[in-house]
Amino acid sequence: MLTTSVPPPPFSRLPPLPTFPPSISPEPLTPTLAAQKQVAELCLSQHEIAARAEPHRTFPFDRVAHAEFLAGALEKYPWQFQVQDASRPWLVYWAVAGLSALGEELEDVEDWRDGLVATFKPCQNLDGGFGGGYGQLSHLATSYAAVLSLIASEKEECYRMIDTRAMWHYLGRMKQPHGPFTMCAGGEVDVRGAFCALVIISLLGLPLELPQDAPARKSGCDNFLTNLGEWIGKCQTYEGGLGSSPGNEAHGAYTFCGLGSLCIMGTPSKTVKKFLDVDLITKWLSARQYAPEGGMAGRTNKLVDGCYSHWIGGCWPLMDAAMQDESPNSSKRDYWSREGLLRYIFNCCQEDGGGLRDKPGKRADAYHTNYNIAGLSWVQNKYSFSEPKDGEGVASGLAPAHGWDYKPVVDIPGLPDGRVNPHHPVYVIPWTAAAKAQAWFGANRAMAR
Amino acid sequence: MVDYGSDPAWSDVVPIVQLDGGPNALAQIAYSDEYSEAMSYLRALMAANELSDRVLSLTENIIRINPAHYTVWLYRARVLLDQNRDLRSEIEWLNPIALKYLKNYQIWQHRQTIVDKLDDPTGEQEFIRTMLEKDTKNYHVWSYRHWLVKRFNLFNKGELEETERMLDEDIRNNSAWNHRWFVVFSQDDSVWKDPGIVNRETQFAKSKIQLAPQNESAWNYLRGILRNSGTPGSAIMGFVLQFAPIDEPEKIRSSHALDLLADIFRELGHIEDAERALDLLANIYDPIRENYWTYRKDKLVISVDS
Repeated sequence: MLTTSVPPPPFSRLPPLPTFPPSISPEPLTPTLAAQKQVAELCLSQHEIAARAEPHRTFPFDRVAHAEFLAGALEKYPWQFQVQDASRPWLVYWAVAGLSALGEELEDVEDWRDGLVATFKPCQNLDGGFGGGYGQLSHLATSYAAVLSLIASEKEECYRMIDTRAMWHYLGRMKQPHGPFTMCAGGEVDVRGAFCALVIISLLGLPLELPQDAPARKSGCDNFLTNLGEWIGKCQTYEGGLGSSPGNEAHGAYTFCGLGSLCIMGTPSKTVKKFLDVDLITKWLSARQYAPEGGMAGRTNKLVDGCYSHWIGGCWPLMDAAMQDESPNSSKRDYWSREGLLRYIFNCCQEDGGGLRDKPGKRADAYHTNYNIAGLSWVQNKYSFSEPKDGEGVASGLAPAHGWDYKPVVDIPGLPDGRVNPHHPVYVIPWTAAAKAQAWFGANRAMAR
Repeated sequence: MVDYGSDPAWSDVVPIVQLDGGPNALAQIAYSDEYSEAMSYLRALMAANELSDRVLSLTENIIRINPAHYTVWLYRARVLLDQNRDLRSEIEWLNPIALKYLKNYQIWQHRQTIVDKLDDPTGEQEFIRTMLEKDTKNYHVWSYRHWLVKRFNLFNKGELEETERMLDEDIRNNSAWNHRWFVVFSQDDSVWKDPGIVNRETQFAKSKIQLAPQNESAWNYLRGILRNSGTPGSAIMGFVLQFAPIDEPEKIRSSHALDLLADIFRELGHIEDAERALDLLANIYDPIRENYWTYRKDKLVISVDS
């Protein structure tokens, strides 16, 4: 099936609308069903227009226009955007990650790599974390976005500006003794916090031991991972996906954060199986992909949305690694429809003139552009994880970025024109950037601390 | 709009102006003068760690311009708590802001901080109801509601009835289903040994499936009950067959029933029947998930071999 030189098979038929024979009592038309029908029809008509000439056709991927859109997202914003004042690190991360995947060098556009240090210096606090802007409190989400953007550049100048020692202390203050992390002092405790913190810890090679000034130490907690896997396991709901914290509704973005955390904490086939019901999460993830749309929805009975091309689509590489040892066939198996998602992204999420969106009728923005492009990376590559043979992990035994591998998938339509540079499945930045950062911070650990 | 620069009440403050990183910085925002000045005064107050009345008026102004500013909310909460301010009036001030900015989530963390300190949930359930009327699946509101129910032990204070009312309005509102699970099953694991409750909830899910057989929310709820109570699927086989009469495939009315039926057949060791159900899903009733159904089929054989 994968990476063969055999010519691709003809594209299979459009998935039919999920209609059922007349039932005794017709399904009551509630707001959920009415909205669902409308979106399904809208997407189906997009697919039909795209396939009019030839059944396997999609709309072409407008790479240059999307790159221009993201380059524009790094330009100056008018005052109406001041409601984004606390999210600027996110805007930068979305644009940087998306541009890297597109691999498009634009004329007349300055290299974003040269602007990163100037951008994040005013956001950097003495406590080690990054806030949304100058004078804003450190926050795990903005720290995550800032660190990923800096590391995506693969430039030493950017690595050097991160104060790893102070960051270690800052993260220590966010750790909660019962396992998870708070997003900021006095903020919400949810599974995003764990993921943001673990991404930073593993990329910067920080010690897993909590700093002495970490408040959680007073409750006998001495390690960033203490009680964390168990707590993430409690976020899995009766449906199979994970909610933001125990008891909350299963949701794509929190599920990605939980799975991603477990995939940093150790070999995915061990950690994911240890803390989650794998059959249940597989089933729930699978049920998030709809026909005829082809795209992913974030929760049961919600609508498809291009951002879940990543939040749900991005769970599949992680699940592939978690289940790769199940049977001799596992490494070749797919659990979802790559062509369905590809078609949703190409046919329904591209805005004329550039940028990608939630669904037809919505406006493109940097967030949806980046996460749709990330979705293309998951569609176009098959990922796996091998435990490093020399025991070479990072930060005392976390799963290293270079343990992951990918193989391009060849037998899906729309390629090779629509191919993007592959992302790392855990760090969601260019393939080489994560491993390169781990190697640099590993080698410079003594100096940096 | 307040002109802080010429207001005598602020003359002792030296504003700290925005540092934006110079010409190279990315994604800069051309702030309005009003916002920029207010933020400069906020930075100065925060640097001096001032916890006073004027912090409240300043943060109120900034929130009006940019309600998605976590720093401002957190600093405001600090002042309110440290200075023992009137938290009731804070809640009253918050209500219209929450209703105006439905998708804002900083408001809910702030509200949680305030209500926790107030130690009194009066009015909260009513306000949540108003919010959810405008946005029935708002994740932050539902999360806040979970916190509230747990914090003040409101499990038996109308929550069950409220989920029922919301499901009467929209039987596919999965947030309401999830909340029902939370209210009924999350307090204590001993609930699984209470046949009264397990039966009541099983009947509830079944009655909703009768109304809308293709509603995944209700099937997920039902399957959760079966799994957690250790009830074999075969116990409801007759019910499931109503919606997935496998011997008359043209009469199948629910892909979720077919999915459950495949598991029941596997449980009973009827592997060929299970394969038949999964084939129907892969080929006719849910073909976008063909790869998943094929995986389930292959697992049947593996489990028989081992």
